[in-house]
Amino acid sequence: MSRKNVFLVMTIPALLIFLVFHTFPAIQGIFYSFTNWHGYGDWQFVGFKNFINVFKDQQVLDSYLFTFKFAIVATILTNVLSLLIALGLNAKVKFQKTLRALYFIPYILGMLIISFIFSFIFSKVLPDIGQTLHIQWLSSNILGKTSTAWLGIVIVSVWQSTAFNTILYLSGLVTIPGELYEAAGLDGANSWTKFWRITFPMIMPFFTINMVLAMRTFLMAFDQIVALTGGGPGRATESISYVIYKGGFEGGQFAYQSANAVIYFIVIAAISIFQIKVLQKRGEQY
Amino acid sequence: MKKRLFWGLVMSVFTALLLSGCSKNANNKKVTLELFSNKSEAVGTYQKLIKEFEQENPDIEVKLTTPPDAETVMKTRLTKNDIPDMFAMSGNGTFGELARAGVFADFSGNQNLEKVRPVYIDSLEKVVGPTKKGTYGIPYTPNANIVIYNKDRLKELNGTVPQTWNEFVALLKKAKAAKITPIYWTLNEPWTDQSPWNSLEANLVSQNFAKLENEGKTSFVKTHQKVAKKMLTLINYGHSDNFGKGYSDGNTAIGKGDSLFYFQGNWAIPEVLKATPKANIGVFPLPTSNVPGKTKLASAVDIVLTMSVKTKHEKEVKKFINFMMRKENAQTFIDDQLAFSTIKGVDQNNEILSGIKPYFADDRITAVMDSYYPQGMGTASLIQEFLQKKNTNAFLKKLDSEWAKTLDHQ
Amino acid sequence: MTNKKINWAATILLAIGALAVLIPLYLTITIAFKTPEELSSNLFNLPKHWMVSNFTNAIKTTNFFVALKNSIFVSFFSVILTVLTNSMVAYAIARNMDKKFYKLLYYFFVSAMFIPFPIIMLPLVRQTSTWHLDNLFGLILLYVVFNLALNTFIYVGYIRTIPVELEEAAIVDGASTWRVFWKIIFPLLGPMNATVAILSCLYAWNDFLLPLVLLSNPDMATLPLAQYIFQSQFSTNYTLAFASYLMALAPMLIVYMFSQKWIISGVMRGSIK
Repeated sequence: MSRKNVFLVMTIPALLIFLVFHTFPAIQGIFYSFTNWHGYGDWQFVGFKNFINVFKDQQVLDSYLFTFKFAIVATILTNVLSLLIALGLNAKVKFQKTLRALYFIPYILGMLIISFIFSFIFSKVLPDIGQTLHIQWLSSNILGKTSTAWLGIVIVSVWQSTAFNTILYLSGLVTIPGELYEAAGLDGANSWTKFWRITFPMIMPFFTINMVLAMRTFLMAFDQIVALTGGGPGRATESISYVIYKGGFEGGQFAYQSANAVIYFIVIAAISIFQIKVLQKRGEQY
Repeated sequence: MKKRLFWGLVMSVFTALLLSGCSKNANNKKVTLELFSNKSEAVGTYQKLIKEFEQENPDIEVKLTTPPDAETVMKTRLTKNDIPDMFAMSGNGTFGELARAGVFADFSGNQNLEKVRPVYIDSLEKVVGPTKKGTYGIPYTPNANIVIYNKDRLKELNGTVPQTWNEFVALLKKAKAAKITPIYWTLNEPWTDQSPWNSLEANLVSQNFAKLENEGKTSFVKTHQKVAKKMLTLINYGHSDNFGKGYSDGNTAIGKGDSLFYFQGNWAIPEVLKATPKANIGVFPLPTSNVPGKTKLASAVDIVLTMSVKTKHEKEVKKFINFMMRKENAQTFIDDQLAFSTIKGVDQNNEILSGIKPYFADDRITAVMDSYYPQGMGTASLIQEFLQKKNTNAFLKKLDSEWAKTLDHQ
Repeated sequence: MTNKKINWAATILLAIGALAVLIPLYLTITIAFKTPEELSSNLFNLPKHWMVSNFTNAIKTTNFFVALKNSIFVSFFSVILTVLTNSMVAYAIARNMDKKFYKLLYYFFVSAMFIPFPIIMLPLVRQTSTWHLDNLFGLILLYVVFNLALNTFIYVGYIRTIPVELEEAAIVDGASTWRVFWKIIFPLLGPMNATVAILSCLYAWNDFLLPLVLLSNPDMATLPLAQYIFQSQFSTNYTLAFASYLMALAPMLIVYMFSQKWIISGVMRGSIK
């Protein structure tokens, strides 16, 4: 076999399988979004009806609002916390290895089980503390109130995701040569200016990656919704993935939710590209 | 050397896993039936009866599937064309939808139907609707939307079982004044708000509502004002964390006497007793009117036994259904589950349920209407939201718009 | 840097922060060993009598060993197949980036990272069940396919830093392209293989959505799915539930305890690329 053919043999099977199990379903999804199919039985083409309905559907609009509010807050919190922890771990601290190992634990644990555990903490442990200390807002389950349930989901998601982002920042921080700081120290820069002038520009690529990855993960939130609130109270915490799953399977809205998924895809792709473009440009300015 | 050891290890794990993955289906000549149930409360009872059945029929094996969120799982499997052999499911809207989609076999003429009180067969056929003629299952147990009360707490208040709405509210006030939690709401799980809603709606709204709403001739705004108002009265008499507690919390609380009343269905009673074996509890239907004796018990077919139209083991499934329909087994089932039976001559004599027994005996029952709602509308979540926001008109309008939307999107 | 003094302020802050990680874990472990009565009387104490029966009950209720076996089966094979196939595909792409077809292929695979799973979820569920892949084998296959997007990105970046001269020398000696890949490139990929293995193992082990929609037979449930399936049967029995959660988390925690250095550096390496 010629070298050229060997390379083809290496890639063509993978390409075919990928086409069959990824591209083809995606095309099917787009196809069905123009029909009125339930997932079983007969169907017809309905043109853009599903798409128009999606934009008129308060439930879908609310789920976008919730998902974005949640994703933006969680992304910012995760990045601030993980950057702080990474800076701490990168400083000369005692028990550095142990602390690093501890902070990384949440990453290896599955979101679903963590959420079940936190669900108990929110419904039993925190109210218990709140009642003993007579703290009003803490003495009832925060997942039970329309106004605060989303915060519970933020807490669990940030708890789990901070670990991974910390490691990414840490791997950025260790690449910064110490001489840079020493030079700045001679110039009399304080640690605040050192951070903004040296550290932050140096880890800018990691900041970009972290923002994009975290945002993408949070926009797809599903496990924590199922385990913590089931989309409730009311429909206060229905994420987009959750609406597609629920409506698509239980509600018999296969075609309608396919249209929702197509829009969702366009939104995610646009945001990712936008983030990469903007953050990269800002990175170059430094 | 080390490397070789590593690969050796990997290969042996590999083969072990492959073997264990493949050895499952060898030497298996038994017929395996899958029974799909949406009642996690009844797992123990089903397993007991299945064991007996398997001893009688050593060549048949019955596998029970009881996932959470069972209706979503069932529809997912429908999408996949992967349909269980038989079902023991609620005779609700999902049942109606699946029957209309031709998932279930027609039992018209089946000898088991003769044992069943006709009112339940009617009710089942109504859920399926006039577009699809036939009887798509055998009603097994009816359920009851009820108020569970703690007898010790009621005694402390010198109260008696209320016969009218005003008496009921008076008791709520009295309990509140005596610092006893009047109602233990468990609204962290939205479905639990449907018990009082169903009782109120089934008594206060015309049974034609769904048909008229489908035709656009009526609306929630027009017909459900009273229901909504009464729900708002009830939510005033809860505890400090109405939306933070769930079903299992409520089952424990009412048994221990942490509250006077608890809205549920009869299916919750075994769970209450599991958490507190000596719970001193009783039940009654939520009185919805001020005329004594006018309130009817809101009931639906709780379990329908039915079969996939595509099963390859029709004979065996029918054997199992016949087994379940035997008087002694139906009795075991309702004794264990503290349920009622659709079968003539199979009675529930448990003292706890004496408060609703006469309603079943005299057919003083009215159909729960949510079986006629469009599926996937998420009524329970909408009610849950309403009980927090207390915005009656916006809520009723939303029910109307969601109804139309759900019909339109399917 | 080395002659700097220990930063105690940072140490203390980090230690306090670490409590946020430790307290939930502490609760999980202690609750799993308590009796229900003890749990209702005090949440934070250590259990007085360590109840092992919670675990034996949980094993029976959730069919723990079946789920464990399924999870190991799926994770193991998806890791092995992912590493073997994805690295090979990436190699072919990396060495042909000057050709249009391979360049296109690269962007095609990598762009799949931005396709959210829900868009393919509904059709995929139908397709896999029609082809009788709604089982553990299907799950493995899909993980390998889904991993391809990120891994093409990771591997291609790494392979392009390996000098071509190494291979050319071997080819001159008469080695086939296969041989070059397996004997020269694949071993050189060692560190990246480790990274990919860790990431794909964690993905397969912890994933919930794909098993939820794909598998219908509860005998095939993986550990996270089993926790979900038996949620309703845990009911008020929180100690039983926590024993089950703990057992589901334990295998990964134990692996982590013995290899945390290796895992963390593996993940860090992946991120520098």
